[in-house]
Amino acid sequence: MIYDGIVYLISASILVSAFYIQGQRYIMSMIRGQLVQSILIAAASFLLAYLENSLDLLILGALILILRGILITYMLETRMPRRKSYVFEEGVNVPYLFLVDLVFIVIAVFIIYSIIFSTLVPISQPGNSSTLLFPLLLFFQGIFLITSRRSTYTQIVGYVEEENGLVLLAIFLLPVPIIIEASVFLDVLALVVISSVITVEKSTHERMEELRG
Amino acid sequence: MLTLILETATQFLFVLLAAPLFAGIFAKFKAMVESRKGPSIFQPYFDLLKLLKKETLVPQGSSILFRYVPYVAFGVYCLITLIIPVVIPVPIIFTASADFLGGAILFSFAAFLKMAAAMDSGSNLAAMGVSRLASFNFLGEGALITVFIAVSLITATDNPYTTNQYLVSNPSANITLVHVFATLAFFMIFLYETGKIPLESSGMQELGMIDESLNYEYSGRLLAVNKWSSYMKQYLLGSVLLNVFLFPWGLYSTYPYFLLDIPVMIGKWLLLIFIVMIIETTLAKVRLFKILDYLAVAFTFSILFLLLSEVMH
Repeated sequence: MIYDGIVYLISASILVSAFYIQGQRYIMSMIRGQLVQSILIAAASFLLAYLENSLDLLILGALILILRGILITYMLETRMPRRKSYVFEEGVNVPYLFLVDLVFIVIAVFIIYSIIFSTLVPISQPGNSSTLLFPLLLFFQGIFLITSRRSTYTQIVGYVEEENGLVLLAIFLLPVPIIIEASVFLDVLALVVISSVITVEKSTHERMEELRG
Repeated sequence: MLTLILETATQFLFVLLAAPLFAGIFAKFKAMVESRKGPSIFQPYFDLLKLLKKETLVPQGSSILFRYVPYVAFGVYCLITLIIPVVIPVPIIFTASADFLGGAILFSFAAFLKMAAAMDSGSNLAAMGVSRLASFNFLGEGALITVFIAVSLITATDNPYTTNQYLVSNPSANITLVHVFATLAFFMIFLYETGKIPLESSGMQELGMIDESLNYEYSGRLLAVNKWSSYMKQYLLGSVLLNVFLFPWGLYSTYPYFLLDIPVMIGKWLLLIFIVMIIETTLAKVRLFKILDYLAVAFTFSILFLLLSEVMH
């Protein structure tokens, strides 16, 4: 009972961290928010490893902490321009973003979750699949972060957040998720490496300029 | 029956008479933290008395709305006093006249009346404050009503007294996720509605003025009534925060123990004043257009609370 409460608490903190990232203007605090989110996901993994007595989840937690928490944060931070604490994105309308984000969440909860996910069985609480809701919400927020911003750094953070949602789903749902984390890690690492090259070229994207003939 | 009448009278008179006291205590404590001597804790009463004796000036061209709305708003707050658990933890005589959501809508109604009256004065400064209030309130009132709806989801009834009883009898319900979210959202709304420092600098400073500008054209007796309603509003919102969300324990209902509720409520309010004072003295005022961000966060918390209470139960 108490552990279920802690799992819920960690999941809700992850959700709040996603909102924190969504509401940030400064890119540096966004990256730090992603760090906090990864640490929280690692904590969820460690907790479930303790509960299930599973070595896989323990290794997975350590992998998340090292690769996602430290390595990606380090790579993103070193790619930032020199006066990094001053780099921010203009034209971020927080109330508008939050309201649209809430609409996403309402759709996620009441439509997709109630139709598709209510029959699945998670690790932590058999018979109650409500923890599976949080990965889905995180996934939606990652997508929305990518679509709502123009800065390349923000879009990378949004992608990482989306992958965080997948990893969280793997933690909550499957007993052997290391293969997923490995593939997702390679995915993210490749993306971060490639996009850090791109950010040298251009740090913001105007609307659809690439596709203009 | 006699107990019921006594309880009703106690709750009504306590809110009516003691509401300015908490504003005074707050001002005094804040002055002490800032190393000032500060006014007496009874200063709000002296202010009200002084204003009641002064001449009332009414702007030329204002209508009957301007002159009578302060009394109507005062009456609305008196009605709210009787329907939510602000002193006595059991239902009293007029409780059945509205539920929790009714209370929230009455708060919105009083705010609307005051805005309409301020617009009626024809003053530019009042119109500026009204436009600020109107552009912020769509999130503030939304969050307030959402929190109240969500509270009713926990106990499956729209009765704040039941919520209070439920929280007292189930201590573990006070640390559930939904409750924490709701408390946070309601506390943010409380700071906004009472105009505390991260959002509004008190007094007549034009840059940070939101709620105060509604009183700009009022004077004399009408200003006294308006100020008194503000104190009552602050007391009512704070007591709902304390009794339904933050600290539901310690209230008694049977004769003669219900008289103990008065010192208990004062003690609880000292706790709340302490928390608010820490926030007021440590944070700087946010810029005016950032208030919408703040309210969006409160609204987000309240909606999350609504969703989580729906999913987890």
